[in-house]
Amino acid sequence: MSVDLDQTPRSLLVCDRSSFLDEKNRISSQVEQLHFNYKVSVLLPECSSAPSHLDSVLNSFSSFYLIRKLPIHELLDKHFLEMAVYQGSAYGVSYRTRIDEDNCVALMPNGRLCLTLDKDSFQLLGFEGKLSRFTHRTNSRYVVSVDLTDSSMAPGGRGYLRLLTGLRSRLHLKCDFLLSHHPGGGASLQPLLSHYDWSEHRPEISTHALTHLSCPAQLTSDLQSCDPHSFLEWLGAVDGDISSENSPSSFLSSFVCPEPKTTLSQALSISVCGLLLPQDVHRLIQEIRCYLEQPLLESWVSLTVHGFVDSPVSWGGSEHGVLRGGENFYTLLMFHDHTYHLHLATGAHDICPP
Amino acid sequence: MVRVKSRYLLCEVNVSDRSRLLLLDDRTIAVAVKAVVARTHGDYGAALCSVGFSVKYLNAHTGIVFLRLPKRCYRLLWSALPFITSVEARGQKIPCFLNCLHVGGTIRTCQKFLIRYNTQQLHRMLPKCKNEEEKQQVRQAILNCSLTRGKNEALEDELGSEEDEGE
Amino acid sequence: MRPVDKKGESAVYQRVVLKNASPYHYMKVCLVLEDESTRLSAVDFKQFIITGLKSLFGEVGAALNFDLLKYNEETLSAILRVYSRGLVKLWSSLTLLGSYQNQACAFRVLQVSPFLLALTGNSRELQLD
Repeated sequence: MSVDLDQTPRSLLVCDRSSFLDEKNRISSQVEQLHFNYKVSVLLPECSSAPSHLDSVLNSFSSFYLIRKLPIHELLDKHFLEMAVYQGSAYGVSYRTRIDEDNCVALMPNGRLCLTLDKDSFQLLGFEGKLSRFTHRTNSRYVVSVDLTDSSMAPGGRGYLRLLTGLRSRLHLKCDFLLSHHPGGGASLQPLLSHYDWSEHRPEISTHALTHLSCPAQLTSDLQSCDPHSFLEWLGAVDGDISSENSPSSFLSSFVCPEPKTTLSQALSISVCGLLLPQDVHRLIQEIRCYLEQPLLESWVSLTVHGFVDSPVSWGGSEHGVLRGGENFYTLLMFHDHTYHLHLATGAHDICPP
Repeated sequence: MVRVKSRYLLCEVNVSDRSRLLLLDDRTIAVAVKAVVARTHGDYGAALCSVGFSVKYLNAHTGIVFLRLPKRCYRLLWSALPFITSVEARGQKIPCFLNCLHVGGTIRTCQKFLIRYNTQQLHRMLPKCKNEEEKQQVRQAILNCSLTRGKNEALEDELGSEEDEGE
Repeated sequence: MRPVDKKGESAVYQRVVLKNASPYHYMKVCLVLEDESTRLSAVDFKQFIITGLKSLFGEVGAALNFDLLKYNEETLSAILRVYSRGLVKLWSSLTLLGSYQNQACAFRVLQVSPFLLALTGNSRELQLD
């Protein structure tokens, strides 16, 4: 037993390095595959106020809708399927449900409906599913993943009816649901919204100006990046407003900015929270690239996108769980010469990101 | 078959005044070890120490101790042993330290080691005898004991006490 | 024009997968006290955690290195950084800390992650009402 005390929980970090000019770069697919983005934060060095075009992109992030106590079988509603799922892409994820204890639901833009259920609910539902990767000896979970665009799941089809009766009459699954649609917005979701208590929300933007920020010097000098873990740690410290001015002998904290370091006289950290669409993130990345084309004091910008902790999927359709932290996020460090470093991190037992 | 695996630590108790060694018994050593483990490794260490730990054998003449520790955590408990500075026996505080000689999986291997070790010690110490008479005494004492006569334990005792004389 | 020139060399695609390479783990914790008016300074807070380590893991445990990265005196919540090897020890001693100056208390571990960044974007904190 004493051996286990030193064992570290598994962690996974993928570091990609490529260029936007490379035809084979997969940045757009990597961005689009993380469906449920909770927070985007951008760090602009040597910048005191956000450039207007960046600001306008941030303000034009699509709004999202919160439906309270939505019976999940409503997602199989014929009108809703026709208006939202078959056309464009609908993003939906259950809100205030914890994937390690509650039943969670996600509606993916490719028309897949993903339910992760505990054993009782799964047996009550009586629909085909498979055992979760995050099953524990005493607490087994099951994942039901159905493609709503499949012919068998067309309204009136066998699979459709079976799932519908399962959700409607046997398993009365209800939860608060966050919903967003691209490109239709609220209009496409109207069939669903009209019946229930809902509210529209705008992504919340907060701007934070920083002064005299110490920063790893490797970022600025050449492309030899510093150790990804210490870079992410530093970025986290900036994001979390954690002081890195500590002496090594300090009792409280010995955290310092990775060496060698320089000092930025000012920096701007912008963050957006809510259910954010990958399309919007993509637009933001393009805008930042334009911003980087200008002659600037510092030639890099970093962008971090956090996924929903309780989302049943992380990248693509790969299953996601919480365990300790439930992290699924990526950090994109963009440079003046169109190269970028991408760091993708997921939780302890998730499948490796693309 | 499955068995509970243990590690046996063969230690010698070093004291400045050898006569006080006789005050020691199994229980005092066990108490001292438990106390020091609780101090260095806290409740966790004390809990590990509560099952599967025992003092298997103590030779009060030579200060040889066999400690039995559960295999899964013997390293942790072992690491606490150097912090023993004194043992309390019969109301007296005996300053001492434990010197670990051997780690074995069974008592048998430890015993084999101990015999070999004591023989080595004897060979080392014989040349240090001050005069021929003393040497002769030691030789005689060794010849008097044989494996066929008594238990192995007796042999150990014998060898151990020779060691004393050698000094 | 420069980007075009550079295209040849910068087009190098590199992918590195790091497993279990994180040197630290980060914990977001919150102390709940019976008497809510009690105030703890950052030093008290860290000292209190060290007492917990000492009672569970003894002097060896008390020597465990961890950093108090951020501390909020109002909410008694903190972000801790600990070497990955010490995570289990720190976590278990936080769990077993039951009283502060003769009043019942409990540590709530809100989030644990090998990335500090993950602690700043926890969707469980999303409040929409």
